[in-house]
Order: sequence, then C-alpha cells, then structure tokens
Amino acid sequence: MKHLHSFKLRLRAGIGVAVIVTVIYAVSGALVIGADTTSAGAKAADKKPQKKEAKKLTGSELYAINCNRCHAERYPTEFNSAQWKTLMTHMRVRANLPAKQAKEILKYLQEDSGD
Amino acid sequence: MKTRPQIVGVLAASFAIGVALPPRASADISDEQFNQLKDLVTQQGQTLKKQDQRIDQLETVHDQDQKVHDQDQNRIHELEQQLNETHSIATNAVQKAEAAAQVQPASPAAFAGPAATHNFSMVGDAEVQFGKASGSSSAFALADFAPIFLFRGGDNTLFEAGFDIMLQNGSHGPGGSGGSSTSVNLSFAQLDYLLNDYITVVGGDMVLPLGTYSERAAGWLNKIPDDPMVRDILPGSGVGMQLRGAIPICESGQMLTYSVYGANGPSSIDGSGTSGNLDLGGNVGDTPNWHVHPSGGGRIGWFMPWKPHYDLELGLSGQSGEWDDSGSHLWSAAVLDAALHISPFFEVKGEYINTWVGTDDIGTYHPRGWWLQAAYKFAGLDLDLPVINDVELVGRYDTLSDGLGTQTDRSTLGYVYYISNTLLFEGDYEWLHGNDAHNGFVFQLSYGF
Repeated sequence: MKHLHSFKLRLRAGIGVAVIVTVIYAVSGALVIGADTTSAGAKAADKKPQKKEAKKLTGSELYAINCNRCHAERYPTEFNSAQWKTLMTHMRVRANLPAKQAKEILKYLQEDSGD
Repeated sequence: MKTRPQIVGVLAASFAIGVALPPRASADISDEQFNQLKDLVTQQGQTLKKQDQRIDQLETVHDQDQKVHDQDQNRIHELEQQLNETHSIATNAVQKAEAAAQVQPASPAAFAGPAATHNFSMVGDAEVQFGKASGSSSAFALADFAPIFLFRGGDNTLFEAGFDIMLQNGSHGPGGSGGSSTSVNLSFAQLDYLLNDYITVVGGDMVLPLGTYSERAAGWLNKIPDDPMVRDILPGSGVGMQLRGAIPICESGQMLTYSVYGANGPSSIDGSGTSGNLDLGGNVGDTPNWHVHPSGGGRIGWFMPWKPHYDLELGLSGQSGEWDDSGSHLWSAAVLDAALHISPFFEVKGEYINTWVGTDDIGTYHPRGWWLQAAYKFAGLDLDLPVINDVELVGRYDTLSDGLGTQTDRSTLGYVYYISNTLLFEGDYEWLHGNDAHNGFVFQLSYGF
C-alpha cells in the first residue's frame, strides 16, 4: 500500500514537472514566433504615418535600469569586448535579464570597451 | 575545279562547230578577220592557261586545307578521348564520395565546443574584515577571496563556478575556540545554456532563486558585511536543474521573470526525521543522506521601472521536498522579496522568509524571519563635499525565530565609503537582542573585480 502511495506521488510529481516544462517551452515558442510576427508587422507599420512612436530604451538607459540597482556602475573600458560578452551572458542568467535588453546593454558596453 | 571542264567543253564545241560547218564563207573571210579570230583564239588560250595555273594554286591550297582538316580531326579525336577519360575519373570520384557519405553519420552532432568565439574570464571579490564583539577582543577577523570563473563557449553556453576561500580567526571570548581556520567552499558550479530568448537551461550546483539575496550577494555588493540572520534558514545552492528566463512587457523595461527547478534539497544529518538534524546543505551522494525524492521550487518576479533608477521589484519564491531518508517529512520554504529604488541615491529592500519543517518528535516547526534594509547616498544632497559625496548611509533591521523558542533581533547602522566604484570601505555597528547576543562593530574593505 505504501509502495502504491509512493508510486502515485512520483507519478503526480512527474506529470507536474512535465506539464510545467511543456507550458514554459510552448509559451516561449509562441513568444518567439510572436516576436517575429511583431517585427514583420512593425516593418509594415513603418510605411504608415503614426501619431506617436513608442520610445525605445537605449542601451545606456537599460544599463542604468538593470545593473545599477544591484551594484555600482562598471565602466565600459574596464573589460574588453569578448569579456563583456561573457559577463553579459553571466548577468543575463543571474539577473534574469530579457535577451533583447541584454543585447542592447552589451552593444552599449562594447562600443566603448577597453579593446 | 569545275570551270576547267566547262572551258574545255566550250573550246571543243567551238572546234567541232568549226569543222562541221561547211566552208561556204571561206571565200568571204578576209585576212584581217582571220587575224582577229586568230588573236581571239590566242587570247582565250592564254586565259585558259592562267585559269589552269589558278586552278593548280587552288588545288594546292585545298591540299593544304585538307591536311589541316585531317590534323584537326585527329586533334578532336584525341580531345574526345581525353574528355571520356576525365568523365570517367569524375564519375569514379562521385561514386567514391557517395560511398564515403554513406559511411559517415547522416546527421553529425552540432559543434558545441570552444571555437574561436570562446572566452575565459574571472571576476569576483575579496574582503578583509576587522571586528569586535562585546566580550571578545578586536581583531582582523577574516580574509576572504571569492573568485568566479566564467568560461563561455560560443554564444549560448556558459560554465560558471564560484569559490569562497576564507581564513577566519577563532574567537577568544566566552565559548570561543581560538586559533584560525581556512575554508574552501564551492559556492556554485553550473552550466548555463541559452535555449532561446525566453528560456535558459541551468544544470549543476545552482544558486537557488529563493528570494534575491543569494543570487545578488557578494562581498562588494552587500552594503553591510554580515548577511541577514534569516538567510541561515535557507539553502544557498542545490544540485539539480533549472529553467529560467524573463518576458519583457512593452518597451518600458518592465518584465516578468521566472525560475523553475528541481534540486536534491535539504537532507538529514543522521538520516532520521528528528528535529535538529536538518541539513540545509543538501546532498549530492547516495548514502547516508539520501531521501526518496528531490525538491521542487521556483520564483516568479515582476520588475517595473518607470525611469532609470526609479523602479519596483516584487518576487514570490518557494521550495518543497522531503528531507529525511525515509521520505516521511517535508521541508518547505516561502519567500517574499521586494526592492524599491527612488532616484540613484535611495533604496529600500527586504525579504520575508517562512519555512516549515516536519519532524518525528515535535511535529512541524517554523523557522522564520525577515529583514528590511534602507540606504541613502549623500551624493543626493549635492553638498559639493568630495568625501561626503562618496558616502552611503545604511540601516537594516533583521529578525530570526528558529521555531524552537529562540528569537533574535538585530539593528544595524553603518556606512559605505566608495573609494572607487569597486573598492569600498564599510563599517557598521550592530545591536543584538536575544539569547546570548553580543553587540559589536565590523569594518570591512571590499574589492570587486
């Protein structure tokens, strides 16, 4: 009886994990496709006059928003371009930064990196 | 070639006509006419001779052309033979290539090793600490070196490992053991793979996303040298796998973040489920600390900036799993974290942590506590005083209940002097309230690299 109970627990846990992973992957896939569609839509929309274009945050603004809230500012010249790429990969994972924001910040840091 | 017979024919016909016709007019042809006719015949003979010469020349040219033609034909034939040989060689090569392709794997694994794009970097921090608690002598209490090794292989793969190497003095006060000790701890060692823009797969000894303190803590990041007491009731890392990522909202920098993981989780020191045997360090072996199922956990967070240096972050995280060897009891934790920044100079952050530990002897008990920290940089006053402008005032209140009847509260007031952006000189005084609590001060020099 105890083995049966344990099996049921494992089965439930396994199903739960599988459902969570599937949902996360499905949602991420939808977001990737959605991003592509949005990009295509944005190109089409460029042809039409718009009243007010949403302001896109620059790399330096994203840096100030995301990085300075945890540590003092690190200057672009402190590392070279390849090191910044490694550090941004590390920080993207550690701080859960969105990919596009991480890329913009990396671009900003590499522009004046200490190469 | 064809003109000669024609001319000969014409002359023959003329001669025949001349013979055949009756000489009825012979009497009528004068000598002058005869001579004219004779000249005409002579001229025609000369013309015929020239044409013969021309014909001979043309025949000579023709013979030469014929020889060239024959040579060309031979050359063409040789080229055709060479072409056939080349075609044969090419056909053999294709056949060999096809045969080789059949031998090789149809779908070789994608290259994922270090290419020209790889990079190795080391970051981290180092500290030296001087302190004194009431009832003990003052001393340089510890020296700490905490490197983080980062190896990036390509665009999507990163391996990172953090160590904490510490030389620490023993206390000479009541209950102190004296002496010193050096410890080397593996803080984390994890492989990160960026699956796509929204999912990162993490595996290894992971920093656990229970709250934000562990993931964002380092000697030069903490504005107060000591960790909040309540962090001691949570594991810092765990061996397992994790999915994590962020979903941006609009273009404002706002985002939802998530982490979902499975890890071995806490275990029992002696394998039993009795209170006092909880081992938060987790387990990586199969005996004796091995319970039946790993723990599961995760965090979901919401980050909302409204402009640079003005933002709010809220997070909810938790973990639950068996901790004793028999799998009879659960260890569970829930963490609520928040952080607020108003201007580049002011921040407030804190965490509330509650845990549940099921036991054989005392049922379920609840180690729990919280901490709240505020900091203000004097640079915000714009006093035009170089030293003051580089100072940040920090205050924190933290409390811990061990769930077994002991409550400890602590108030801390300190400062951070920014010698540079990565070299900090910190100091604070701590007021402790609880059983066997001692007030004390700590100074720390921190360097982040």
